[in-house]
Amino acid sequence: MIDFIQNTLDGITIGAGYALLAIGFTLIFGVLRRLNLAYGPSIMIGVFLGTFIYLHFDAGWLPVAIATVIGAILAGIYVERMCFWAIKEGAALASMVSTFAIWMQLEELVTVIFPERTYKFPTLGEMDYLEFAGLEMRAEHLIMLGIAVLMVGLLHVLLYRTRFGLSVRAVSENPAAARFMGINTGRVIFRAFILASAIGGVAGFLLVATDPTVTPKFGLQATFKGLIAMMLGGMGSIPGAIAGGVLLGIVERHMQAEFGAIMRDMAAYALLFLFLIFRPGGIMAQGVAAREAAALRRV
Amino acid sequence: MLEVNDIVTAYGKIEALKGVSLSVPEGQITVLLGPNGAGKTTTLMSVAGLLKPKRGSVTFEGQDITGRQPGTIVQRGIALVPENRLVFPDMNVHDNLKTGAYVRNDNEIESDIESIYERFPRLKERYHQHAGTLSGGEQQMLAVARALMARPKLMLMDEPSLGLAPMIVEEIFRIIHDLNQEGTSIFLVEQNANMALKIAHQFYLLEQGLVTFSGTPGDMDENEVIQRAYLGTTA
Repeated sequence: MIDFIQNTLDGITIGAGYALLAIGFTLIFGVLRRLNLAYGPSIMIGVFLGTFIYLHFDAGWLPVAIATVIGAILAGIYVERMCFWAIKEGAALASMVSTFAIWMQLEELVTVIFPERTYKFPTLGEMDYLEFAGLEMRAEHLIMLGIAVLMVGLLHVLLYRTRFGLSVRAVSENPAAARFMGINTGRVIFRAFILASAIGGVAGFLLVATDPTVTPKFGLQATFKGLIAMMLGGMGSIPGAIAGGVLLGIVERHMQAEFGAIMRDMAAYALLFLFLIFRPGGIMAQGVAAREAAALRRV
Repeated sequence: MLEVNDIVTAYGKIEALKGVSLSVPEGQITVLLGPNGAGKTTTLMSVAGLLKPKRGSVTFEGQDITGRQPGTIVQRGIALVPENRLVFPDMNVHDNLKTGAYVRNDNEIESDIESIYERFPRLKERYHQHAGTLSGGEQQMLAVARALMARPKLMLMDEPSLGLAPMIVEEIFRIIHDLNQEGTSIFLVEQNANMALKIAHQFYLLEQGLVTFSGTPGDMDENEVIQRAYLGTTA
């Protein structure tokens, strides 16, 4: 029983990282209705910029975190300009395929500059285990959880209390109506991209700092985990992204404890399939997908 | 107030407007009638800056606004009530109203929302409800109120009666009439020629991308107007 609770607790922590990735995915999907597969790889660019700062300047975790976020934002801007701004709306498939091309390009770029297989990344410091009622938690996991909760809180304020947030919600709900109100949708998309990339950068830093090795495969992992978590939760829904991320973290951790590390990723894909078959709208089953279905019914 | 001079607007190679000219005088209700596909919505979109005319010009209060950004045009004082209302369904009524004031940066937005609530008590009752849960008539009211939040001098309205019950349609037309009485100029696109002619000061008939008639409601036999508004001259 105590193991079960312990694994669930660990799952929630990792899931918080996945939730941040899924939020980034869902923000971009919300304003664009197009999938950005290069989201993970652009976060990877940030992580490698962080590694670079760490190795060459022996920097502490804070400068590395800042470099990671900046790298992710710059790569995110590059992806937005190439795959979404240059390719006009309506061509959703062309955009998605081009994000795949950019993904390969970014991965190639990193393997050329960083030829070794793995690189080191700073941890959040040497920290103890916290113990409580027979459960234990790594202190950096607790920090990770805290930062994730803080990010979600900030994002909520940004989306529901500011003019920028209003414009993001308007574009996500109905781009045409947003334009009628005089909202410059292109600018909103660009800024939402920067926001999503910054959130992704933080998520990337936290996920790598708690498991301090960096490989070029990080982009693949980030895209898969974020994408699966988003789809579990319901595309375009932020509460869904959080729920999906946490659920994915918990299931992965339990499967790993029961059947070993190989089963961990298998479980993630199996979970996605189960959802796609039995609850295609995701946990929240509203978000963009359900809204579009409802809009079709109204017309 | 608004002058549309010989505009040609095309979707790809297909010209939806083949040289449309019309004018909307200040303080009046101008109605644009015509059958489906005549180019009525395209005309509004070309005025609002959502479509760029290939040729011709649009001037508002003497200034050229052809092809300007929609945001600039809203700021100049032209707000749009779009076809099918297009409220933001998952936003509450209050936030929907705020989107209408997006281009404003003064600090009277909240007090304007209060006066909207006085005018439309039904919206006040439902201020925290998601717009998607409102009835069709309430959504139309919200769409009008949202456009008012831009403090427009001219309101463009695209088929506000579409899909509404006759009683609600009357209410919407009464609102349009009242707004006009208070000084807002109205440019109204309608299929419901009957109702529209009752409040119009003047009207235009648009057929296949061209203005084929303009005058005041008494100038043409009502039956002919209605026939041409629904079916076009060829019928």
